[in-house]
Amino acid sequence: MSVEARPFQPQAEDQEQVETKRGSTSTFSRVAKYTLVRVIMLFFTVATGVFLTIMIANMGGYVDNIMRGNIREGLAMQMQQDPAYKEMQPDERQQYMASLIELEEKRLGLDKPFVTRAFRYLTNALVLDLGRAVQMTSDTGSKEVRLIILERLPPTLLLMGTSNLVLFFGSLFAALALSRQYGSIWDKAIIALSPTSSAPSWFYGLFLILIFAAVLRVLPFGGMVGSPPASTRWGYFLDVGKHLILPASGLIISSLFLSIYNWRTFFLIYSTEDYVEMAKAKGLTDREIERRYILRPTLPNIITNFSLLIITLWTGAIITETVFQWPGLGRTYFTAIGLYDTPVIVGNTIIYAYLLAMTVFLLDFIYALVDPRVKIGDS
Amino acid sequence: MAENNSSLLDVHDLKLHFRASAGIVQAVDGVNFQLNRNEAVVVLGESGCGKTSLAKALLRLLPRNVAEYSGEVYLGGEELMGLTDEEYRKQIRWVRMSMVPQAAMNALNPVLRVGDQVAEPMMIHAGIKKEEALAQARDMFSRVGVSADFLHRYAFELSGGMRQRVAIAMSLVTLPDLVVLDEPTSALDVLTQANIFNLLKRIKKEFEVSFILITHDIATSSELADRVAVMYAGQIVEVGDAESFFSAPLHPYAQKLMASVPRLRGDQELEFIIGKPPSLIDLPTGCRFAARCPRRFEKCDQDPPVFDMGNRRIVKCWLYEGN
Repeated sequence: MSVEARPFQPQAEDQEQVETKRGSTSTFSRVAKYTLVRVIMLFFTVATGVFLTIMIANMGGYVDNIMRGNIREGLAMQMQQDPAYKEMQPDERQQYMASLIELEEKRLGLDKPFVTRAFRYLTNALVLDLGRAVQMTSDTGSKEVRLIILERLPPTLLLMGTSNLVLFFGSLFAALALSRQYGSIWDKAIIALSPTSSAPSWFYGLFLILIFAAVLRVLPFGGMVGSPPASTRWGYFLDVGKHLILPASGLIISSLFLSIYNWRTFFLIYSTEDYVEMAKAKGLTDREIERRYILRPTLPNIITNFSLLIITLWTGAIITETVFQWPGLGRTYFTAIGLYDTPVIVGNTIIYAYLLAMTVFLLDFIYALVDPRVKIGDS
Repeated sequence: MAENNSSLLDVHDLKLHFRASAGIVQAVDGVNFQLNRNEAVVVLGESGCGKTSLAKALLRLLPRNVAEYSGEVYLGGEELMGLTDEEYRKQIRWVRMSMVPQAAMNALNPVLRVGDQVAEPMMIHAGIKKEEALAQARDMFSRVGVSADFLHRYAFELSGGMRQRVAIAMSLVTLPDLVVLDEPTSALDVLTQANIFNLLKRIKKEFEVSFILITHDIATSSELADRVAVMYAGQIVEVGDAESFFSAPLHPYAQKLMASVPRLRGDQELEFIIGKPPSLIDLPTGCRFAARCPRRFEKCDQDPPVFDMGNRRIVKCWLYEGN
């Protein structure tokens, strides 16, 4: 070591000691404290979100009135049509009906004030006791919300999974290629096409149905399997695949160009960093620069996007599924909203809320793994 | 002249123009200079005179909006401008020419260990294994005064001076002939600056490497300079060896520039140059310094040629016509 370099040495060693001292004593307690605080905070966030959903799904208690009206109307109709009641005295009949109404209201819990029930719904939801649907049933005839959701989940995962994975990786790699050719004809074409995303996926779905199902008659109008269902397993796969093409294409087309445009701009910003220029000066190939100097530093953003995308699969595509008669969660949502079937709406929401909270929680730890600058619980 | 054998870099009429919304920016506009092996040339000039663009033109680090990139650059007798990008990458980048960036903080990848980044060029160009490359990086670290432990650190864990040393180690690791230093110390405090300059001086001797040092810091750079090139409005207006330049600059701009540097002894008032450099988009037709020149005369309305003053000294000013 030369003499002139010495002034640096003590400084550097000091720095090192400080860091190791701090690191060894408090890492565990720092992470533990952070984890605890984070879990509590996320739990409150979930509880608030679900409570708001309960309030909104019940229209702040107004759904009670609708249901009371429905009960009265239903019972009155029933009594009028049933000849057995015609013999009864009007007073007696009135009394009997009142007792029936009371019984039915008690069955649905309408005898207790809405606020009390809202909190009971909340606690039930938070412990994942999803309860029974008011009117909807699963295909096996069960009113258990859990069974309804489990039954509708696989089709949604298939549709949303296929389209979102194609969309994510397709746009990521297209954007990476495009960011290398800034200002090229392809670049300009994608920018010009990005407003196509202003129309929703079901809008494209309608056109796809018109072209490929109604005019060309090559693909089915909707549903997930043909009727009657194929007898062999292979045939069944092919059949589902065929039904998948149009709704998945609708979902992909409606987001593809904007998504590419988004990622392309993102990569363009990161590719002007000094260290990218330095990597070029060092003689790295374009592929190495992309991998180590663009994708690697932006990995936290990419992971965030990807994990949020994975959990949004849960919500399904409400209108697209309805347009294509796809038997998924999105369509279930749509039906439940129409029927004021609050337990189904709340059941679906609570699972999504928990998934979201878990993802956010895990992401903090993943950031610390992929980015050395991030330390968990460091202020 | 004997120097021709040891000539490392010859630049002829190098041009780098950019397209901007207001017009064409003539950042490097016909630059000529020559550099010998194991020589350090300091490129002096105000901000915005095209110094950094000159570095980028030499290193072929071109932005997307290049309008013109031309001229001839000979490195050790080989013409560089005719090489394809892939040839240039394989034969020149970091093999024969490397660089030290202005701010090492941004020039180091924040998520890769600095040791890996220093070892990287050897793995690409010499094709050696990672362990071997890291061993060489470790050796290079000790030669620039960085502890070997720092190989496993990240850029954000190092001080500014340390980062700059890492960047210097990185520039030398493949033993190139020429290192381009773009204001390597402008982001550092004075003490650290002095340290880095001492290090560079030692390295130049040890590695027999040539430096192109781009700076606006006249005082500090005089420590390292063998030769000085003064740049004004995209052109080089004077080149000379350091000793004769610092004792008697020829070009009026260089004279004014030198007069603006404080000296320890003598009671001279610091001078400044009235006006500002011309916009690189809208350049005057004659001498580009004429509008600010105290010694302006009729001839200055025409663009002056480069006058050879002998002893590898050139000046682009009508005052020296016929010398």
